[in-house]
Amino acid sequence: MTDIIQILILGLALGGVIALMGSGLALVFGVMRIVNLAHPSLIIAGAYIAYWGAKLTGIDPIVMLPVAAAIMAGIGVLMYRLVFEREARNAKYSEMTVLLTFALAMIVEGVLGGLFTNTQRVTSPGYATDAFFLGDLFIPKGQLYAGLISLVIIGALSLFLKYSRLGYAIRATTQNREAAELLGVNVNLISVLAFAIGIGLAGAAGSLVSFVFSFFPAKHWEWIAMLMSVVVLGGMGSILGTVVAALLLSVIAAFVGTWVGATWSTMTFFLALFVILLIRPQGLFGEKPEMA
Amino acid sequence: MSELLQVTNITAGYGDGPAILDGAHLTVEPGKVHCIIGPNGAGKSTLLKAICGMLTIRKGDVVFKGKRLNGLRPDQILRAGICFVPQERALFPKMTVRENLRMGGFVLDDQRELERRIGEILERFPILKERADQQAGTMSGGQQQTLAMARTLIIKPDIVMLDEPSLGLAPKVVQEMFDIMKMMSAEGVTVLLVEQNALIGLKNSDWGVVLDLGRTLFEGPASTVLSDPRIQELYLGGKKAA
Repeated sequence: MTDIIQILILGLALGGVIALMGSGLALVFGVMRIVNLAHPSLIIAGAYIAYWGAKLTGIDPIVMLPVAAAIMAGIGVLMYRLVFEREARNAKYSEMTVLLTFALAMIVEGVLGGLFTNTQRVTSPGYATDAFFLGDLFIPKGQLYAGLISLVIIGALSLFLKYSRLGYAIRATTQNREAAELLGVNVNLISVLAFAIGIGLAGAAGSLVSFVFSFFPAKHWEWIAMLMSVVVLGGMGSILGTVVAALLLSVIAAFVGTWVGATWSTMTFFLALFVILLIRPQGLFGEKPEMA
Repeated sequence: MSELLQVTNITAGYGDGPAILDGAHLTVEPGKVHCIIGPNGAGKSTLLKAICGMLTIRKGDVVFKGKRLNGLRPDQILRAGICFVPQERALFPKMTVRENLRMGGFVLDDQRELERRIGEILERFPILKERADQQAGTMSGGQQQTLAMARTLIIKPDIVMLDEPSLGLAPKVVQEMFDIMKMMSAEGVTVLLVEQNALIGLKNSDWGVVLDLGRTLFEGPASTVLSDPRIQELYLGGKKAA
């Protein structure tokens, strides 16, 4: 029984971080129908900001979180203006963004590789290798802090979306872009803002990831399938769905990793992606796709 | 005649595609109900979309209260006082009735005033009050249309444009929609309506506009349009107005 609780705790803590990693992806898809394959590479860019902040100035990666989020949000605005805005009314926009973001992922990887080489990095604050002990159970402090901070950020995002005027505008644009425009929402501005928040979340996730996982520029290829399976299971565009799916899949992956083997842990996400697409393509909280 | 909105020989279409409207004109008088009729593909919905800024006007002018609207965005045209309800009602299905009403007043800066107006609307439409916390997407077609029309009243617009409000509704519910429209008109809101069912549309209107192949063929008092034998033959299926 203790083993099961232990695995559950580890899975949930990691699930929180994965939820934050996926929430930006879900938000960007929900509002703009951009399938952002570059999202994990931008998380890695955020991780490098936290890493170099810690390495050069000794600043804790958690303290670097708002800095990484702000820098990445700024990069998000530039990316949107330069790459996505001019094609926003194209009928094949969503399909095009798959190719565009695939290219962007490779560019970001190339730039990061050129700047920082492909050496594996990890930030090492004291808590990253420490743990809380509760009887026979242990909770790694790094994972716990990262998981809790992720859930706090997602909670704040949800409150912002639910109650603020901008949040209303973002939700409305997500559900019916044309209707939002007709009611006075400047949907172009909202799109830029939502994209900036989405990429800012990637920056925030990067800061936390920097002490939870080791990373290098090409690591994003491993993460994209994991994040896509979380976002697809949750229901493309649903942040609540993303959180539920991340926690669920992380816990399953933790059990698989312990009982079957670590190599199979990652397979959980791949397998989940196939199964979801076959059985319930709209995910847990998504809309059932209309038949053509 | 003091026109509120004047559309003069406009040409408009979707993207770079062919012009759907070519020589459409329209005069809208304050406080009246205007009904645009015409066959499928005449450009009726396109005309409303061009007025509200969803399409670029290639030629001609749209002048509202003496101000040219050409080139303005939909949000700017809404702020000027023209509200548009498209065919598919443009609701936010996962938002509650109250949240949809709140979105109706998105352009209002005074949040306290917005809440007061939402309260007023809920009092006037008991069905919406009953379902204030229900998701809009789970309501019936008639209730959704009521919400879409009631939502326009939040900003107290000068003109409400309705694109086929009766589409997909049962006959009894259709009359309820026209009753709401008449109530809006009685309160001084000018209504510009596109209606596929020309007979019922004109019977509930003051002014009729006949559009075909993207141009205005005829406009005049609704009773005149209804009694014109050519219009009856072409657009009313030969039915005589009762």
